[in-house]
Amino acid sequence: MSGFAAFLAKERNEIFRTWRIWVIPGMLLFFGITSPLVALVAPKLIGSLAGSQPGVVIQLPDPTGLDGYAQFLKNLSQIVIIAVIIAGAGVVSSERSSGTAILVLTKPLSRAAFVGAKLISFLGLILVPTVVAAIVCVAVSRLVLPPEPVGGFVRAVAIWLAFAALLVSAMTFFSVVLPSRGAAAGAGLALLFVMLLVTIWPPAARYSFAALPGSVDAALTGRELHLGWPLFTAGLAFGGFVLAAIARFRRQEI
Amino acid sequence: MSAPPPIQIEEVSKRFGTHLALDRVSLTVPAGSVFGFLGPNGAGKTTTLRILTGLAAPTSGTARVLGHDVRTLRPADRAKLGFLPDVPGFYDWMTGAEFLRFAGRLFGLGGAELESRAGALLEMAGLARVRGRIGGYSRGMKQRLGVAQALINAPDLLFLDEPTSALDPIGRREVLEMIVSLRGRTTVFFSTHILADVERVSDHVAILDRGRVAASASVAELKRRTGVERLALTLDVAADRFVGALDGAAWITALEADSNRLRVTVNDRATAAREIPRLVAAAGIGLVALEPEEVTLEEVFVDLVGREVG
Repeated sequence: MSGFAAFLAKERNEIFRTWRIWVIPGMLLFFGITSPLVALVAPKLIGSLAGSQPGVVIQLPDPTGLDGYAQFLKNLSQIVIIAVIIAGAGVVSSERSSGTAILVLTKPLSRAAFVGAKLISFLGLILVPTVVAAIVCVAVSRLVLPPEPVGGFVRAVAIWLAFAALLVSAMTFFSVVLPSRGAAAGAGLALLFVMLLVTIWPPAARYSFAALPGSVDAALTGRELHLGWPLFTAGLAFGGFVLAAIARFRRQEI
Repeated sequence: MSAPPPIQIEEVSKRFGTHLALDRVSLTVPAGSVFGFLGPNGAGKTTTLRILTGLAAPTSGTARVLGHDVRTLRPADRAKLGFLPDVPGFYDWMTGAEFLRFAGRLFGLGGAELESRAGALLEMAGLARVRGRIGGYSRGMKQRLGVAQALINAPDLLFLDEPTSALDPIGRREVLEMIVSLRGRTTVFFSTHILADVERVSDHVAILDRGRVAASASVAELKRRTGVERLALTLDVAADRFVGALDGAAWITALEADSNRLRVTVNDRATAAREIPRLVAAAGIGLVALEPEEVTLEEVFVDLVGREVG
């Protein structure tokens, strides 16, 4: 286990001492701060734009904290998720292409521990900043917008995190299987596209993990959700991707 | 029961698609030896090292390091191994000292012992006073750091892939001296295409050519076995005047004239020792001296492989 702990510590240090700290965590913090502000100014912007058109009158309700949360969740689902795919595309393959994997894998570090440490550090890189950014979003919303209960927002963020964790496991697998970072990113985007597409089919929308992205907004607005099966299948898929990544990496020549 | 040899390779082949990189390679490396693994570029040296370190699997055959099958090497088995790849890849954001500590922790080292080893190895690598990140290191500095990290666990078996290839003459000499200093306590298996390095530090040698072992023996035995020998003649006239008299001699493999000295590489010493004085006398030239000279490993290599190394 000593090799695993040392490698995981290296992963943590690498996040803080390279560009990785600025990309996803920086992006999340930015959205945590700006989402309520965007929700605050958006009605005024739209109103002033409409005012410049003769005969057009748009009446928008005053923004509330819910609008700030909705803007934050939209950013998570549309922008951060793409960043997760791009960053995750090189999570394992970058160590192979740079030659660093050779030095560590010829020491007492098993390949399963290598993949496990990569997965855990990547999950941490997404989960912790998302929680921090969500707290910041709530705080800024309360400062600039009329307060709203946060229960729906917390549930929505939790659902998004489950979806992001699934995507992290998938990207770890793709990064093991595909040596090219571009190919792994393409596979991740294809998976995302397929997940969005299959929800057209009602059983998939009800029972599979593909229901998770669409449930984020529903959770915020307090609509009734049946997430037992989607979360269960997401857990199965997560485990499947991780085990497949480890099994494949064990057989690979470095 | 005696300990198994540190490295035992039996009939190992490695195929990449249609290309046969290793063809039934068999080798045994004696414990405590400095084993030079010699061959031209593309001979299969790095492939062999990748197999021995568990980074690649043989297509057929068996390879064992410290008694363990390389196909099933466990982390605990790797705790006794050290490895320097041909182009070591480091985390550029770390300093050399940080990388050595990280490498030590992968072996379960820590505390004062790790600090002491890391400090000594940084000193040995000439990097003790270098504060910058590895990203700013020259290739030679990276190579020296690579050697240091391979020694952090005081390995029983050390693999070095082209350890001197990126070094300047001083760095090269220091690495070779370090290899010599390990003799007897650590088995060193190092690959190179630099024949002089092998000749300088190795007690055993294997020559790999086009994926096959052309020869494997002690350096002295290899020189003896090939039958290649050299005689140095000193004449009382310019050596060029005598070269023509040696035309057509089947026992000569190479000639090198310099002023009044002539170096004759032969494959039949007895015939040469008998014929040379006779031919010198017949040419009306005075023979000042006729001495045997030790052949170099390069000459042995050329004799075995039939072409220049490099």
